[in-house]
Amino acid sequence: MTTQPHENTLEIRQLNATLPNGMRLLRDVSLTLEPGEVRALVGESGAGKSMIGRAVLGILPSAVVHSSGDILLEGQSLNAMRPKTRRSIVAKMSALIPQDPLTALNPVRKIGPQITDPLVRIHRWSRDRALKRALELLERVHIRNPERVMNSYPHELSGGMRQRILIAAAFAPSPRLIVADEPTTALDVTVQKQILKLIRELQRETGTAVLFVTHDMGVVAKISQKVTVLFAGRVLEDAPTEAIFNDAAHLYTRGLIAATPTPNATAEPFRPVPQDLIAQLQRDTQAEDVRFYQGGRK
Amino acid sequence: MVDATMPLRRRRFRVRNLRFWIPLTWIMMLVLAALCAPLIAPHDPLAQDLFLERLPPFFMDGAEPGYWLGTDSLGRDVLSRMIYGARIALFVSVIAAVSTGIFGSTLGLLAGYYGGWWDRVISRLVDIWMAFPPVLFAVLLVAVMGTGLTSVIAAIALIDWTRFARVIRAETMVQAHMDYVDSARIGGARRFTTLVSEILPNVMPSIIALLMLEMGIAVIVEAILSFVNLSISSDDPTWGSMIAEGRGAIHFAWWVLLFPLITLFLTVLSFSTLGEGIKKKFDPVLSS
Ligand SMILES: Nc1ncnc2c1ncn2[C@@H]1O[C@H](COP(=O)(O)OP(=O)(O)OP(=O)(O)O)[C@@H](O)[C@H]1O
Ligand SMILES: [Mg+2]
Repeated sequence: MTTQPHENTLEIRQLNATLPNGMRLLRDVSLTLEPGEVRALVGESGAGKSMIGRAVLGILPSAVVHSSGDILLEGQSLNAMRPKTRRSIVAKMSALIPQDPLTALNPVRKIGPQITDPLVRIHRWSRDRALKRALELLERVHIRNPERVMNSYPHELSGGMRQRILIAAAFAPSPRLIVADEPTTALDVTVQKQILKLIRELQRETGTAVLFVTHDMGVVAKISQKVTVLFAGRVLEDAPTEAIFNDAAHLYTRGLIAATPTPNATAEPFRPVPQDLIAQLQRDTQAEDVRFYQGGRK
Repeated sequence: MVDATMPLRRRRFRVRNLRFWIPLTWIMMLVLAALCAPLIAPHDPLAQDLFLERLPPFFMDGAEPGYWLGTDSLGRDVLSRMIYGARIALFVSVIAAVSTGIFGSTLGLLAGYYGGWWDRVISRLVDIWMAFPPVLFAVLLVAVMGTGLTSVIAAIALIDWTRFARVIRAETMVQAHMDYVDSARIGGARRFTTLVSEILPNVMPSIIALLMLEMGIAVIVEAILSFVNLSISSDDPTWGSMIAEGRGAIHFAWWVLLFPLITLFLTVLSFSTLGEGIKKKFDPVLSS
C-alpha cells in the first residue's frame, strides 16, 4: 500500500453523535490534520471536544447510540473496517494523552507493563525491545530513575510524574496521531508549563500530528498551527492560529480570546464571553438555525 | 503494650495488624489441626466407652487425665471429635466457597463489563434466584440430592453464587468506567483481555473478601445441615452434629455443646475479619 505524501493524517467528515434522548453531541463536525500538524480544539465545557477525541480513538461511551459520518486515518476509512481491524489500526496509528493522570493508569498494575503492553501486543515487539524503548522514553521525559519507576505502582508517583509517564507511553510506539485531551488541566500551574513544553518538544522531534484539546487560548497560541472552535457540538470556526488571534471571523472566538488573561491583563479588566452572545448561539443551536454561522459573524 | 506516646498513625497500624493476625492465627491452627488430626487427636473420635461417659473438662472436679475437654454421652472424647470436625468444616468451606466464588464472580464480571444482554439475563437470573428462601432451598436440595458432603457443597454453591454475582457486577461496572480501561482499549487490548488483565485485578480484593465471608457461611451452613441431620452420617464428628447432641445434654454436660459452639463462632468471625484484612492488604493504595 502506498501513501501519498500529502495525505492527511486525520480527516473527520460530517461526524454526528447523538444520545438516545435525541440530544445531539456532535453536529456535522469536519476537520483535518496534516502530518506533523498541531490542531487546537477549543470551546466551552460540554462543547463536545472530548467526544471528538473519543470518536477518533474508538472509545465513545456506550450511551452514544447513533454516530454517522466518517473518520479517516491516513486515508483509510474507519467506518469501512470491521471492529477488530479498526481497533488494531487505531492502536497502531494513534495514542492518547489523557486529562487525568491519576485515573488513566491502572492502580493495581506496575507502570512497566502498562507502557510495554501495547508495544508487544500491537506492534509485536519483543519484550526486550519494548522494555528498552520504554526506558528510553522515560529518560526522554526527564524521569530520573526509569528502572525504579517501571517497577512502581501509580500511587507511588506524583501527578506530574504520572503525566510524564503517560506522555512517554503515548510517544513510545511512534504513533502518527496523538489526541491530547486537556493534558495539563489536572496539574498545578508550575507543572503545567513543564508538561506543555515536553509535549511540544516531543511533537517537534517526532513530527507527530496532535489534536490538542484545551480551554486555554494562551496554550493555543503557544502550541498549535490550526484552531477549531466548537460550540454545542458544532464547528464555529476553523482557521490557522495566527488568523484566529489577529482577525477571528466569529464573535464567539473573539470573545474567547478576549476572555483569556494575558500577562499585561492587569491593566484591563477581565472580560468573559458576553452572555447575550452565548444565549443567541444557544437559541440558534436549538432551532438548528443556519443563521448560527452568520449571526455570530463580525 | 501499645505506647500512648506513639504517634496515632503507628498505633492504628498496629491495631489493624492485630485484626489481621489474630484471625489468621486461629485459621492456621484449625488448618494444622485438620491436616494432622490423626497425630494430634488424643483419642479415636468414634470410640465409645460407656465407663467414661460425660466426663467434665480438665479444670473441673472429676476430670480424667487425657480427656481435656471431657466426653459426651457416649463416652467419646470431645476434643478429638472437634479436631476431626475441623477437617470436615474446612474441607466443606474451602470447596464450597471456591466453587461458589468462581461461578458467581464470573457471571458478575461478564454482566458488569459486557452489559447489554449479558447483564439483562444474568441480573434477571439473580433476581429470580434470590426470591427463594435460602434455608428452605438448601433443605430441599439436600432432600432431593440425598445427604452427604457433596450435597452440602452443591447446596451452598447453588444458593450463594448470587452474592458474588451481585457484588462483583457492581464493582466491575464501576471499574469499567475508569479511564485506565479506555487506555487499555486504545492500546489495542481486546475486551476479554481488558476484563481479565485490567479489571479483574482491581476487583480481586473484593472477590477474596467475599471468599472469606463465604467460607464462614459455609461452616455455618454445614453445621446447620448437620444439626438437622442432613449432612453426613450423625456418627461422624462434625461441629453441627456435636452441637445437636450437646443440646440434649445441656443440663448435665454443657461442655459437649459449648466448646464446638465457641469454635464455630470464632471460626466464622475469623473468616470474615480476615476477609476485610486481606482486602486491605491486597490494595496497593490502602496498604501503603
Ligand atoms: N458518558 C456520557 N453519556 C452521555 N452523555 C455524555 C457522556 N459524556 C459526555 N456526555 C455529554 O456530551 C457532551 C460533550 O461532552 P464532552 O466531554 O465532549 O465535552 P468537553 O467539550 O470535552 O467538555 P470539558 O471541557 O468539560 O471536558 C456534554 O454535553 C456531556 O454532557
Ligand atoms: Mg473534555
